[in-house]
Amino acid sequence: MNRRDVIKNVALMLGGAFSAPTLMAMNHWENATQAHVNGTAFSLSSSQRTIVAEIAELILPKTDTPGAKDVGVPAFIEMMMKDCYAQAEQQSFMEGLVLIEQTKFLDLNESERKGVLKYLEQETKAEMVARQMKQTKMGDNDDHEDIKKAPKGLPFWRLIKELTLLGYFTSEEGIKASFEYVQIPGKLENIKLQPNQKAYAY
Amino acid sequence: MYLNIKATKNNTFDAIVVGSGMTGGFAAKELTEKGLTVLMIERGREIKHPEDYDTAMKQPWEIEHRGKITAHSAEEHWANKRFGNLVNEEAGSFFTDDKANPYIEKRPFDWIRAYHTGGKSMHWGRQSYRFNKQDFEANAKEGIGIDWPIRYEDLAPWYTYVEKFVGVSGQKEGLDVLPDGDFLPAMPLFAPELHFKQKMLEKFNRPVTVGRVANLSQPQAWHTKLGRASCQYRNKCVRGCPYGAYYSSLSGAIPAANLTKRLTMLHDSIVAEIIYDEQRQKATGVRVINQQTKQVEEYFAKIIFLNAGAMNTAALLLNSKSNRFQQGLGNDSDQVGRNIMDHHLGVGATASIEGFLDDYVYGQRPNALYIPRFRNWGNDKQAYLRGFGYQGGASREGWNRGVNADGFGGDFKQNLTKPGQWTIGFGGFGEVLPNPANRMYLDPNRTDQWGIPMIVFDAAFGENEIAMRKDMMNAAMEMMDAAGFKNITGYNRPEVHLGLGIHEMGTARMGRDPKTSVLNAFNQVHDCKNVFVTDGAAMTSSSCVNPSITYMALTARAADYAVKALKKREL
Ligand SMILES: Cc1cc2nc3c(=O)[nH]c(=O)nc-3n(C[C@H](O)[C@H](O)[C@H](O)COP(=O)(O)OP(=O)(O)OC[C@H]3O[C@@H](n4cnc5c(N)ncnc54)[C@H](O)[C@@H]3O)c2cc1C
Ligand code: SF4
Repeated sequence: MNRRDVIKNVALMLGGAFSAPTLMAMNHWENATQAHVNGTAFSLSSSQRTIVAEIAELILPKTDTPGAKDVGVPAFIEMMMKDCYAQAEQQSFMEGLVLIEQTKFLDLNESERKGVLKYLEQETKAEMVARQMKQTKMGDNDDHEDIKKAPKGLPFWRLIKELTLLGYFTSEEGIKASFEYVQIPGKLENIKLQPNQKAYAY
Repeated sequence: MYLNIKATKNNTFDAIVVGSGMTGGFAAKELTEKGLTVLMIERGREIKHPEDYDTAMKQPWEIEHRGKITAHSAEEHWANKRFGNLVNEEAGSFFTDDKANPYIEKRPFDWIRAYHTGGKSMHWGRQSYRFNKQDFEANAKEGIGIDWPIRYEDLAPWYTYVEKFVGVSGQKEGLDVLPDGDFLPAMPLFAPELHFKQKMLEKFNRPVTVGRVANLSQPQAWHTKLGRASCQYRNKCVRGCPYGAYYSSLSGAIPAANLTKRLTMLHDSIVAEIIYDEQRQKATGVRVINQQTKQVEEYFAKIIFLNAGAMNTAALLLNSKSNRFQQGLGNDSDQVGRNIMDHHLGVGATASIEGFLDDYVYGQRPNALYIPRFRNWGNDKQAYLRGFGYQGGASREGWNRGVNADGFGGDFKQNLTKPGQWTIGFGGFGEVLPNPANRMYLDPNRTDQWGIPMIVFDAAFGENEIAMRKDMMNAAMEMMDAAGFKNITGYNRPEVHLGLGIHEMGTARMGRDPKTSVLNAFNQVHDCKNVFVTDGAAMTSSSCVNPSITYMALTARAADYAVKALKKREL
């Protein structure tokens, strides 16, 4: 499925959140994002930054424990994308983000937003399965070329979800609110899990 | 004239050891403890144990990029990064800057390096297994490469000696394929691993044991004396252990050598050449370039131990040309730099495990389970030669299971605070056969920033390794299936090259015949007997077990021989 189809499907699902001009603009969209990501350093516009923050908060919302925004996940995501990812991932992240921008994400209500994410999740799943197959096929050094010419970055949803979880569950507040944090265990033992016991974090 | 003599005197020791890593450290310890004054020369920066383990006590949130590699570090470590996440902020400063220390890949070679005090002993996985009897005999029996000039029995007492000093936690199993050693108490297997062990015995008669690992599960007096304490089960060993609980040159050998007050250490000093005296037909010393100032200095000794790591040791021999040795010191056989071996890895399987949901673990095991070689052993016969062992283990999933799972939101978040289901994964370490066409050599034109010829790698897996890899994946899947595990996924990473097994060896092999080997049975260069090579370069075959304990045993044995020979004035 190409990107225009994705947007069309999201639009259909949301009952036509797109205007005709938006859909037409999609024609030029892919090239445009490429130009945007190549050459310049990875950077987000302020509306993109807001979208990232909103998505992170939808993934790990504030409940009786802090949410993604409380522990600084949005800034973490941007920093990680900038510092730790190659161009392929920066590109696929931006592509996905622009796609969401096109859905007028910030104008949607919460349940519509969740709908977009659910759709994204299903799309990503299919893509991840395809990637996985590539990784595990009986490599006997013949498929090197194949691997080299597949520089497509991980999909946006996979990236933002991983970075949200990583940023949250390794933050001081995130760890302490979620797990039993043990810096120095001092011993190693098989134990029985108590009802409702939290996981250890080290 | 007077000044020169004085300088020479100041620069003269009983022994010189090149490299302060796993084997250099051990050589220095043995030689100083036996009464020699030793100069140990290290090309990299100084790391002080334990105060220079900058990240050791950092909490997760104090590590800016939380374990991921920055693009900057990836660029600097263009080769090291192939190994995985090691060049992140937790341990990256303990790996060599590949940009400043480049090498040439005629065929790809994943060279993982650590230039600093302790070399790669700083962050090794500490898995420590003896070679078995067949490992020393297989070459001769099968007509592969050349025969080892020693047998298991020659090395057995030295294994014991090294294991005691190092401290290896492990379980005695009484297996021929994996000879027992002198062990500290074993670490536990986890509930599903015990189930797996049972099933493998029932269904395949294949033993499974807990890893034999150089972490102090119960320190002995000689460990405590060096300031080493019991393992705290944090499994953050790659950052350096503030307790000295795992063995490294830094935590063990160097402190022991320092106790003798006979050790002198030089850092930032690249040994570029061995000086050969044509008249006395001996090596007399080494020529050293300071990596910062580029100043050249010479040092002298009666015996020289080469412990720069297999590739750098071979490069050093090749670069030491004289009238007598025009192709490099000890290279009459043209075998220096050839027969590169390693262990091939990056192949195995993962699965999920149903049940055991009330079983959990407190603490982090810096260790794995081990499945000893079962291929071409006993009655098993394969189309390829030799075999492999598996390393891996079971654990309960953590929050990161959420990355690939469906869902988001409050319940999703809450759910990730609980331990997930058990999963298991193990990967093989396969034996690589010696092949003279797998080689490294010095580039005739290009030099590094110190004017030393650059190393070129020209090596690749052969048919035997490729055939074995397929079986390594399939057999792993078969075993998981037999244990009743679910969602079994095999993998055979195609982007793995020689080198990635981080066990490079073979470039100056031991043998009986000077025409086909570089070293004799006591690791002496055949025609330059006061030069000893006791790192991985000396290996005649690779076995499939992690090799460092074998390198150390060879080192201790050679040092013992060298000191006795010196006393008898044979050197
Ligand atoms: C991540 C990782 C995990 C590992 N896990 C295991 C394991 O579980 N079990 C196992 O048995 N092995 C393991 N190894 C391998 C183990 O680290 C090596 O086998 C061992 O360190 C080799 O010892 P060495 O003395 O030959 O080389 P090193 O330890 O690498 O030391 C060589 C030293 O020589 C110095 N040097 C090089 N050239 C020169 C020169 N020209 N002049 C002066 N100094 C020089 C280097 O800077 C370095 O300090 C692992 C390695 C890595 C990287
Ligand atoms: S697991 Fe043990 S050896 Fe490793 S860092 Fe922790 S205390 Fe040290």
